[in-house]
Amino acid sequence: MNEVMTEKAAQNFIDAYESARTVLPGADGWLARRRAAAIEAFAGAGLPHRRLEEWKYTDLRQTLDKAGFAPAPEHKGAVVLPETASASAFSALDRHVLVFVNGRYRADLSKAARLPKGVELCGLADVLTEQWAKDLLERRFDEARQAEQVVDLNTALMSDGMCLRIRKGVKLDKPVHLLFFAADDGASHTRNLVLLEEGAEGTILESHVGEAASFADIVTDVVLGNGARLDHVKLQDESANAVHLATLRGEVGAEARLSSFTLTLGCGVSRGQSFIRFAGEGAEAQVNGAYALRATQHADQFCVVDHAVPRCASNTVFKGVLDGQSEGVFQGKVIVRPDAQKTDGRQMTQALLLSRDAAMNAKPELEIYADDVQCAHGSTVGELSKDALFYLRSRGIPEAEARRLLVLAFLDDVIALAPHEEAREILRGLVSGWFEEASI
Amino acid sequence: MLEIRNLHVTVDGKEILKGIDLDVAAGEVHAIMGPNGSGKSTLSYVLAGREGYEVTEGSILFNGQDLREMGVDERAAAGIFLAFQYPLEIPGVTTMTFLKTALNAQRKARGEEELDAVRFLKLVREKAKPLNVNDEMLKRALNVGYSGGEKKRAEVLQMSLLEPSLAVLDETDSGLDIDALKTVAEGVNAMRSPERSMIVITHYQRLLDYIVPDVVHVLSGGRIVKTGGKELALELEKSGYAAYGADAA
Repeated sequence: MNEVMTEKAAQNFIDAYESARTVLPGADGWLARRRAAAIEAFAGAGLPHRRLEEWKYTDLRQTLDKAGFAPAPEHKGAVVLPETASASAFSALDRHVLVFVNGRYRADLSKAARLPKGVELCGLADVLTEQWAKDLLERRFDEARQAEQVVDLNTALMSDGMCLRIRKGVKLDKPVHLLFFAADDGASHTRNLVLLEEGAEGTILESHVGEAASFADIVTDVVLGNGARLDHVKLQDESANAVHLATLRGEVGAEARLSSFTLTLGCGVSRGQSFIRFAGEGAEAQVNGAYALRATQHADQFCVVDHAVPRCASNTVFKGVLDGQSEGVFQGKVIVRPDAQKTDGRQMTQALLLSRDAAMNAKPELEIYADDVQCAHGSTVGELSKDALFYLRSRGIPEAEARRLLVLAFLDDVIALAPHEEAREILRGLVSGWFEEASI
Repeated sequence: MLEIRNLHVTVDGKEILKGIDLDVAAGEVHAIMGPNGSGKSTLSYVLAGREGYEVTEGSILFNGQDLREMGVDERAAAGIFLAFQYPLEIPGVTTMTFLKTALNAQRKARGEEELDAVRFLKLVREKAKPLNVNDEMLKRALNVGYSGGEKKRAEVLQMSLLEPSLAVLDETDSGLDIDALKTVAEGVNAMRSPERSMIVITHYQRLLDYIVPDVVHVLSGGRIVKTGGKELALELEKSGYAAYGADAA
């Protein structure tokens, strides 16, 4: 890689910061100083590339250099969503909905009226004067600083995002649906802040759709107080020319539970990274997902769970189906700190290759410093069983239908881990639809 | 119904069937007996169309159609059913879903109307009852965690639902205790009709006490070496297979 080339995308982001810094939210206060520090750090490090262990299988620098994204324009007019099952996913559910177009919150398209008392839900610009938002933006989530580079980029350029605060003991009455629509080509930087205070409960559904050549850079910071519960279901189905980079950072308090599930169907290149840290005993984290890829799609799942305190349980399962020349990546790490006795930490990744040219890279890791723990990790890569296909076909089921049944069966047990029952059924339908498209 | 002429089959380059001739008329039940390795299972897989079983010579006609030109699922839709010696476990696909998909795929292939959920459920319960297959079993993943007897009952349920014109039962008695054997045999016998033919493949005579064949063939070394009535099975029970060829086990 020549050095002039490798700096191109990073320089574009620095230029974008320079031209936007006076108009970005919070330009006149503490956040402006945070942004300035972040862009300086980003300029020093550049975009992550494959010589970094965490980015070994996904060279973000090369990907973005090649794509050359300009900042996405602000889209003010009417919006026509694509006529796809993904674009209308979750729309039949009773929910609050926040719509983001090209990464910017569109209050005029959103519907979040009559929120229960104790629930605040709004765009990022509206909370910057509030202490809780400032606390979240300044919080150090990721002790290992593995997400530093991309979070710095996001901090410098974030133009909007969803902010949800649920006060102590309050239960959100219905799910919050975040619909992110890439209407135009270009890069957008979104920061979501989620604070669930002690005993609070809520569900977030998130969908990312669009047919543009877009780069979505999303950082979602989640703090769960003691005994709080957050269910999170995410659907990513952007275009083959799109790049999706999502970072979830979560701090889970004592006896709290975070359950996050991601279905990845779209994008030329996508990377979903989760950094979960337990802050109190008896907490639980589920970070799971499924993906179905075709053509030259590349999807990378990266997950670090930090058992910093005793008696917490974490489970990570990612299962994927790869067709064409697609490539899947799973990198996962469970860290068990010296004091974190009675930890239960599990990671599993399984991939089904439907084509000779598809590939899977899996690297689950355990880093254990305590002795009284239960940890397990595993990884499998396989093909559809010829015997199973023969059995189904011998009962009159045509080959394409038999393959579809077996693929859906393969993904079914991981989809079963998605936390919201109705959302789960919607995901099942989307996967089934994906396969029908594939067999045309 | 089925006419097999001079059938030669190789598997992995090795010739297993070396010139089989077999005629099964509508309504007949034929037993094929023979020692291990004689080619019994190969014959059943060739009829079902399994990949890797190459017909190098001879012909198989099913109701006048050349079977070699039909895919696995086409054969099934045309009325051929193979009850597996070792039914496969299919995690993630419930028995109910599997049965409905199979039945409707066959109906569709034959140009018949597909059954809706209500009519299907009524039909499957009616067929499942005599085989002691309850709703709980139908809701489980296909064959996953089923006992040997449950697997074989599930095979007979599939057969009863799909109503094939030619059923091939490959070692259906293996792994069954006497009660399970009786249940399975009753299920099979209930399906005997002047329009339906059966080929019962077995190592032991025991199954033929319950499913009484019209014709018994002895398969050894890839050839049918003797054909007779049901009394041939009893004879074999006494004398064993030793008299039929040097490569008999």
